[in-house]
Amino acid sequence: MATNQDEIKRFVQERYGARARGVIELAAVQETGPADADACCESDSGCCGPADTERALRLYNEGQVAGLPAEAVAASAGCGNPTALAGLKAGERVLDLGSGGGIDCFLAAQQVGQSGRVTGLDMTPDMLALANRNLTTTGLSNVEFVQGEMEAMPLPDASVDVVISNCVICLSPDKDAVFRETFRVLAPGGRIHVSDMVALSPEGPAQTDAEAWVACVGGAEDKAVYLDRLQRAGFVGVETTDEDLRFDDEGVPLNVASVKIVAHKPA
Amino acid sequence: MEILACPVCKGELALQVETEEGDEVMEGALYCAQCNETYPITDSIPNLLPPQLRV
Repeated sequence: MATNQDEIKRFVQERYGARARGVIELAAVQETGPADADACCESDSGCCGPADTERALRLYNEGQVAGLPAEAVAASAGCGNPTALAGLKAGERVLDLGSGGGIDCFLAAQQVGQSGRVTGLDMTPDMLALANRNLTTTGLSNVEFVQGEMEAMPLPDASVDVVISNCVICLSPDKDAVFRETFRVLAPGGRIHVSDMVALSPEGPAQTDAEAWVACVGGAEDKAVYLDRLQRAGFVGVETTDEDLRFDDEGVPLNVASVKIVAHKPA
Repeated sequence: MEILACPVCKGELALQVETEEGDEVMEGALYCAQCNETYPITDSIPNLLPPQLRV
C-alpha cells in the first residue's frame, strides 16, 4: 500500500474533481460548440491515460456516443467500455461504480429502457455535479446519481442485477470491501462486468507513487490476487475476457494491463 | 431515491423533502432511524458517504 487509505481517497477525489471542473469550465466557454477535451484539463493523469475525446472514441464506438453530451465523453477516464459487453437487457437494474461524468450510465440507461434503471455511484462532488448536468441534457429519466463510497454502498441487499465499473476499483485501497459490497447488492444470479487495471505479476506495477495511483497504475495489483478477491467474495465463473498491456511514454512496459472481467453471483 | 439504503446499517431511509422540482427532490435529507443519522440531499444529489467521510 503506497500511503494510508484516507490519503489515497482524498488524492483521487481531488484529481478527479479537478478533471470534472475542467470539463464544466470548458463547456461554459464553448456553450455553443462541442467540448474540446484536449484543452480541458491542466492534468491528464486520469485513470488509464490521457483524458481526451479521441481516446474515449476508441473505446466507445462513435455511434454509441453520438447522442450523448460532449461533456460526458470528455470526462470519461475509463479503460474499457463495460456496457458494450454487459449484454444489458430491458428492465435490468444497473449500478455503475465510479460513474464520473456519467457516460456508462447513459449508455446503460438506453439499453435497459424505461422498465430498468441505472444508479451511478461516485464519491467526488464535482463529478456528480457534472454527471447531473449531463443527465439533464440527455433527458433520460431512468438514471440517478448518488454520492457514496464503493466500499460502503448505500444500496439494499440484492437490489441490482448488474454492476458495471470502468477502471475504478483499482483506485480503491480496500478492494475486498468493494467486492464484498458488490456481492451483497447484487441479486442472486446477478453479475459484475468490470474493466480495470491489474499488474501482470506479484512484483506489481513499475510505478507506485500517488500520481501513479491516480493514473490507475499504482493501485493495480497482481491479476491473480484480484481474481482471487472476487472468488473469496463469493463470485463464481470469474473470467478474464480481454487483456491489453500498458506501456509508459517511452514504451517501457509498466507491468500492468487493462482487463475486462466478468463474474457471477450464484443464483 | 427509493432504492437507496443507509451506507452503514443498510437499513431503510426516510425521505425529508425541502424543495422539489417536478418529482425531483432538489434539497432535503434521507434519515436513518436505526443509526439516527441524517444524509443531506443537495442540488438533487444525495450524499450517502459514511458519516466519518463526509466533509
